[in-house]
This record gives sequence, C-alpha cells and structure tokens, in this order.
Amino acid sequence: MNQILHILRYKLIIFIRLNTRFDLPGLLKNIGSSIIYIVFASGAFFFTKKFVWFLISEIKIGMFLLHEFISIILFIFFLAINIGNILVSYSTLYKSNEVGFLITKPLNPSKVFILKFLDNFFYSSSTLLFILLAVLAGYASYFELKFTYLLILIFLNFIPFMFSAGSLGVIILMLLIKLASRFNPRKVIYGLVFTYLSVVFIFFKINSPVSLATTVMNFYPLIDKDKYLRELISPLIKFLPNNWLSETAYWLTNNNLSEAIPLIVLQIGCSILLFSIAVSIGKHWYFKTWLMNLKLTADNIALRKNSKSFFSFLNNSLFSPRTESIIKKDFWMFVREPSQWLHFLILLFMIMIFILSVAGIRYVGLGNFYLQTGIYLSVFLFNLLLISTISLRFVFPLISLEGESFWKLKSAPLDRYYIINKKLTSWGIIILLISTGLSYFSNHRFELQIELMAFVVNIIASITIAIINLGMGGLFANYKEKNAIRLSSSQGASITFLINIVYILFIVLLLFNPMSNYFLAIMLTRGFNMLSILYPLIPITFVSFLLIGVFIRAAYNSIQKDF
Amino acid sequence: MLKIENLSKNFGSFRAVNQINLQIDKGELYGFLGPNGAGKTTTIKMITGLLSPTEGNIYLNGNDVWLNPIESKMNLGYIPDQPFLYDKLTGREFLFFCGGLYNLSKNHIRNKIDGLIDLLKIGSWIDKRTEEYSQGMKQRIVIASAFIHDPKLIIVDEPMIGLDPQSAYIVKRFFTDSVKNGTTIFMSTHSLNVVEEICTRVGIINKGNIIFDDKLEVLRKLKDEKNNNFEELFIKLTNEE
Repeated sequence: MNQILHILRYKLIIFIRLNTRFDLPGLLKNIGSSIIYIVFASGAFFFTKKFVWFLISEIKIGMFLLHEFISIILFIFFLAINIGNILVSYSTLYKSNEVGFLITKPLNPSKVFILKFLDNFFYSSSTLLFILLAVLAGYASYFELKFTYLLILIFLNFIPFMFSAGSLGVIILMLLIKLASRFNPRKVIYGLVFTYLSVVFIFFKINSPVSLATTVMNFYPLIDKDKYLRELISPLIKFLPNNWLSETAYWLTNNNLSEAIPLIVLQIGCSILLFSIAVSIGKHWYFKTWLMNLKLTADNIALRKNSKSFFSFLNNSLFSPRTESIIKKDFWMFVREPSQWLHFLILLFMIMIFILSVAGIRYVGLGNFYLQTGIYLSVFLFNLLLISTISLRFVFPLISLEGESFWKLKSAPLDRYYIINKKLTSWGIIILLISTGLSYFSNHRFELQIELMAFVVNIIASITIAIINLGMGGLFANYKEKNAIRLSSSQGASITFLINIVYILFIVLLLFNPMSNYFLAIMLTRGFNMLSILYPLIPITFVSFLLIGVFIRAAYNSIQKDF
Repeated sequence: MLKIENLSKNFGSFRAVNQINLQIDKGELYGFLGPNGAGKTTTIKMITGLLSPTEGNIYLNGNDVWLNPIESKMNLGYIPDQPFLYDKLTGREFLFFCGGLYNLSKNHIRNKIDGLIDLLKIGSWIDKRTEEYSQGMKQRIVIASAFIHDPKLIIVDEPMIGLDPQSAYIVKRFFTDSVKNGTTIFMSTHSLNVVEEICTRVGIINKGNIIFDDKLEVLRKLKDEKNNNFEELFIKLTNEE
C-alpha cells in the first residue's frame, strides 16, 4: 500500500505541475476552461430541467417511458465507457513506457495494475462525470428530489455503475490477451466485435424504444403512464445495471426509498464484485498477460508482411506529391493502429443502427405538433452529436498525434495552412459522408425544401464542428501523448465537446420555431410558407463561418508555435 | 550559404541565445560546439523553422528563413538530436513521405532511396516499420531523409548520440563525402573527436554567446600554444566566459 501511495503522490505532483502553469497563456487557458465548464454545467443543468419538463408536461410521455428512455441512454453510455476502457487500458497497461519503467522496479506487478486501472478510470471519466452530475442535478431539480436522495443517486448508484463498466472492460481485456495467446489474435478481435454487436442488437430487439412507446400509447388511457409498468420490461433487462440506475431514479423521484434500496444494493454489489474480479484476475494474470502481450507483439512483427496495397506510398497517385505524402501518412498511421480503426468501426456500426432506427420514424401522426417537433429536433440534435463524437475522437487528436515526429512536417517547405487543409481533408470527407447519410435518412419522408434545409444545415454544422475540433486540438496539443483515446478524453477535449454542444443547441433552438410551425400547419392542414424554413440558415451560416475562421486560426497558431 | 545576424532567443526572462553572428560558406563542414544548455539546439531550431527568433535574421542562400520559409526550406535538410519517426511507417515509406514533401517525383525518390540504403548500410531494415528499429537505425533513416532532396545545407544536431562505433563511422564518412560533393553541413556536437576528425571550421557557443569562430587549424594552433589537448582547451574556453 505504501508503494502505491508513494507513486500516487508523485503522479499527483506531476498532474498539479502540468495543470497549474502560472504564465499568462496558461492562466488564461485555465480561466477560460473554468468559465466554459461553469457555463456548460449551468447550461446542462437548465437544459435537462427544461427538457424533462418538456417531455413530462408538454409531450406527456409519462414517468415510466421517461425512465425507460433514460435506461436505454445509460445502456449506450455503459457500453461506451466499457469499450473505451478496453482500448485505453490496452495502451496504458500493456504498452506505456511508465509501466515498462515500473515493472523494472521492485514492485509487485499487481500494484502496477491497480495504479494504472484507477488512473485510467479517473482520467478518462472525470469530465464525463462532471457533465453528468450537472445533468443529474437538473433532473433532480425538476423533480424536487431531496438532497440526500441526489447524493444516494450519485454516489451509491451512478458512480458504482460507471465503475462496473470500467472493471468489466479491464476483465475483458485480460481475457482477450489470454485468448489471443492461444488462438489467432485477429479471430479473437473479430469475435469481440461480433459479441458487442450482438449484445447491442439483442438489447434493442428486446427493448426497442419505439415498440415500448407504442405499447404504452396503445394501452393509454387504460393505464397510468406514471406507474412503473414492470410487466412491459423484458426480464433480461431487469438484470442490467442501467436498469437498476434508471429504476432507482424513478423510485427516488416518487419518494419511495424502500423500492430503491434493493436496486442500490444490486448496483453496489455488482460494482464491488466486478472490481474484485478485476483485481483478483489482475493479481494472477496481469504480469502473465503483459509478457504474453510482448510475445504476441513480437510474433505479430515476425509474421508481418509488406503487402503492396493500392494506397501504397510506392504507387503513383493523382494527388500532388505533397498532398499524397500527408494523406497517405495519416492513412497508414490510422489503419496500422488497431485502437483507431476498431473504435471507428464500432462508431460506424452505432451510426448504422441509428440510421436504421430513424429512417423508419413517421413524424406526422405522432401525437401533437409539439411532440413531432420535439422528436424531429431530438433526431437532428443526435445527428450532430454523432458528428461531434466522431470529430472529437478522430479530428481533435490529429495535431497531437503528429507527436514528436512533427519536426519533419514543420521543417519541411510547407505552408502552415496547407498542413491544416490536408490534415482536415480525409476526415472532412468522411464526416461529410456520414453527415449526408444521417441527414438523408432522417429527412427523406419530408418535402424537398425541408430535406434541403436539413442537408445544408448538417453540412455547414459538420464542417464547423470538425474545424472546431481541429482548432481546439491544436490549442490543447500534447505531442507527448500517443494514445488518441486519452487525447480525446483530456481536459481540452472536454471543453471542445462543450463548445460543440453549445453550437449544436444554438442550431436546434433556431430551428424550433419554423419546425413547430411546419408541424402545426400539417396538423391543421393549412398552408405553410416554406421560405420561413430557410430563415434560420442566415444566422447559422454567419455564426458557423465566424467559428470556422476563429478555429482555423487557432489551428494555424498552434502549428506556428515553437516546437 | 548560411548567414546569421544578431540572432537572439528568449524563453521568458531567460536568454538562451544572445546576439550571435555567423557566416558559413559553401562546402564547409562547420562544427558547432558547446556545453549542455549553451544554446546549440535553440540556434539550430531557429534555423530550421521550429523556433521563432526573438531578434535577428537568418539567411539561407540570401533568403530570409523566416520571411521566405518555403524557398529556404527547399534547400535545407535537418537531422534532429532525437530521431523521432512515424512509428507505423516503414523506413521506405517514411522516405517516400519526406520526398513527397519536397515535391519530388516517385522515380527520383526511388533512385535516391536505393543509393542511400547502400551508402548508409540500411539493408533490409528499410521495409520494416520504424517502431522495430534501434536508435542507430532510426538515426540512419533520419539522415537519409535529410539528404533525399539533395539540399544545399544540412543542419545536424548531435549526430552521434546513441550510435555504435560502426554506425558512427558510417555517418562520419557519409558527411565528409557529402561535403566533398558540394553540400554544406552545420553540425552541432559534444564530441571534440568528431570535430577534430571531420570539421573544417569550428564555432563554440557558451551561455548563448559565440566565444570562438574560426578554421579548425586556428583551434589546433591555440591548443598547441597552450599545450593542451582539445578537451582541456574546450573546458578552459568555456570556463573563461
């Protein structure tokens, strides 16, 4: 224990020194970050409160459906933390220089495991936790939840829930390495991806939000929508931590602690169990799997073949040599880093599921026009959030990932804007393609004018979001960090995400009036001036171009900085 | 070839380089000596565009490096003290990448790589990912990347760090051959032996100031006059400041 505390002490000193620079730019950065955090926390608080009010009072979805939707969101959240932890833990537990250094010291490897596991969990999840606490506070404030109940919800349910996801991630990782040393590593990875996809598929098959809402609405008004309709939930779902959390929230808002206690006990018990399993497996397996990983890496190197692909540097291309150099370099750096392409494929799969779900939504006939507007704008918001997630995960780290090899590009005869342009090109195209797909499938049932408006707004917003991420990635560049996931969960990345959300909310708010008028006109079967749909484009375009200018400049300045 | 005028660099209140002036002519192999923290790497980074000067100018073939960076860098090759490479690329891919940055054709790069593999004894390592390389092999790839576009001036920062005697020999021979072929080399180093062995001119920087700048023979004469070896003379010179 003393050794762990000793190391933690020095890690804390390093953290404090890194985050408390007292020069003017450092100070400004810290003040700016704090202001953004506070503004965003307040925004998240008020937005959640208003949104819950909107769902409960305006759309009248009822307490049961509200908490079931929360449960679905928490399931996705659980998977996101879980997968993120597998990828981050692989880098930090098996590939980091720090572990290499600590392993050579007279320190039991199981202690290294515990240290790095906690380091990963708190480093990757602290900002997320902060934002979610603001959301929880907004939720609690709307329902006038007792303060003690809020504390119970956060500390006895929410944090254990996140901890379970992290612990499960590291258990799966060690199992994977064990399996990879016995079977073909590629097959093990494919098996993992297939398992996760199946889990998501099965979850939505047995717990589809659309069929849940339809069932409740079909029985209404014979049933009370505010009652907890247990019989409508699949028995399997009742064993999931996301359900324990959402159900606890439901009972606490109903001031019924006795119903919540068993769920809290289950949540804490599950968290302790998974953490104990992780620590126990770590004690026995960590060093073994660390050595196995070394062997696997060596075997992988020995088996590596230089296949001549169509995108090889050796082939002629249509691009200019400079463009080709930068694009091909970024391409190969991406496809040869499994944590990068694997994460991208998972996100792409999530997007496909989302597209398939939204493509079938028929807005007209879905209750009142407020509900239709609410659903339409929620889908719009979610589309942009997906773009923001991809940008944060893949565009934000672009400058930092140049790492210490950046000397080559910086000392080459290249204009700084040229570097920014080329670095953005590949991801810009991918993001635009995804954005076009999302926009098309979310709007294909509407008139051409609505489709066009949504397309234009999506494209402008996607470009802006990508550039915000690139600029902020430059502003918070960390050339020492090679792990893209850690970069995209750093303090700078969190602030970037907050800026993205403010920008997305700005767009959604501007679209609220014309879209609600549009749905009202359909409901009343009266004419609607389609031109009014286009008015929000003016402020959206203006603000977007302003942001593009500011963040391109930020990216330029970061590249221009002393290296 | 390279002219430095009143060049200074401040890091906050600390002056790392103080009003230095240097002129290096074509075909010279200039040894830039100095103790740790003297300002060698800072000077080099300002020449290569990685650090912006606080004051002063740097001219390469008459072009101001900071006013016309693209034209200047076309004539410049840089070998940093730490051979950081993109670890997922093979040596060959890295060299193709570097060649592309200078707008070179595939054929030119291909031929050049073949020659450099031979000269620098890179062998079959060229097609392995650089993450598998030893320090010496990384250094050879970085050297090859600096020569790929046939620059007129090569800036080298501590070229012998981490090299085994065989690699060091290959690198020294490669530099002297390049100078014979008309390339100019500006090389910062700690190694007095290397300077004595291959340099034509020597500059010594200490605490950000140039304290010696002349032909190697002048330094040799000074050494003989004071009855010292190079090491003792260097320590004496840098301690006098």
